[in-house]
Amino acid sequence: MKPAVRWALRLGLGGLFLVTGVLKLRDPAGFATAVANYQLFPALAALLAATLPAVEIVAGLALIAAPGPWRRAAALAIALLMAVFTAAAGSAVARHIDISCGCFGVDSGRIDALTIVRDLVLLAAALGLVVIDRDAGPDADR
Amino acid sequence: MVPLLARTLVLLVIGAAVGLSANAVRRDGVSLRRYSPPASCEGPKGGPAVQVLPPEQAVRLCGDAGVLVADARPPQRFAEGHVADAVHLPCAAPNAEASSVVSALARKHTLIVYGDTTEEARPVAEDLRRRIGRADLKVVVLEGGFPAWSKAGLACSSGPCRECTEHR
Repeated sequence: MKPAVRWALRLGLGGLFLVTGVLKLRDPAGFATAVANYQLFPALAALLAATLPAVEIVAGLALIAAPGPWRRAAALAIALLMAVFTAAAGSAVARHIDISCGCFGVDSGRIDALTIVRDLVLLAAALGLVVIDRDAGPDADR
Repeated sequence: MVPLLARTLVLLVIGAAVGLSANAVRRDGVSLRRYSPPASCEGPKGGPAVQVLPPEQAVRLCGDAGVLVADARPPQRFAEGHVADAVHLPCAAPNAEASSVVSALARKHTLIVYGDTTEEARPVAEDLRRRIGRADLKVVVLEGGFPAWSKAGLACSSGPCRECTEHR
């Protein structure tokens, strides 16, 4: 795959995670409520609200600026996060819970089928980067 | 593969550590020990929490024989107009065990409660859910209440409550 496409994917996905992490950091209590509203693990809402934004920022930064092997690890970390986010959104839709997704902080839109589609696209992009960088080898960024 | 997983784990741990540190020094950080989820979405023991659905989504549940729609407004407001086939919930309030509403719920899987606002119906729905205590009964509050339902142009009817005996 052309280096330009790889870089576009990295910048897009990494930049998106940087932005979403920062947006979630702006209102920790509001984000904790958004997490709790999923009614999956309410006892973990505060812990997730405290850690998830920074994890997203670190993963986003690493995907954009870290050396080759760490970029691939960042892509895998983002893929894992997206798998969890997709499962949570799917669970909310399946239970007909009408809540904000919290994807972009407290001002996010409601969860619906499009949220799941968007999450799946991002998951595929992250997994694609993991595979592409493996095939391209350690010199993928050169 | 192992180095990849190890690096991924390191990134996740670094992120979590940074997040916890930042949360600890922030004035508006979340209290990890004292945080309690919002009461409105808390899942009380004995069943799932009351859900809030906008009219456009709630209307999809109507027509299902397993769904009961209940009006939590005063009798006069009910008589002026209500959601088609809705029963009047206040007639169930004095004695939930004997009410026709609770009896009717035995054959239902979903109860939709509405008032003139979301907040008017929510405590009624919560109370009914607790009293019925059925984990398999989904209790839904209509977002925006009857005004939102009417504004959306969804089916409604008017006239006295056929199910109620208290205010005939």
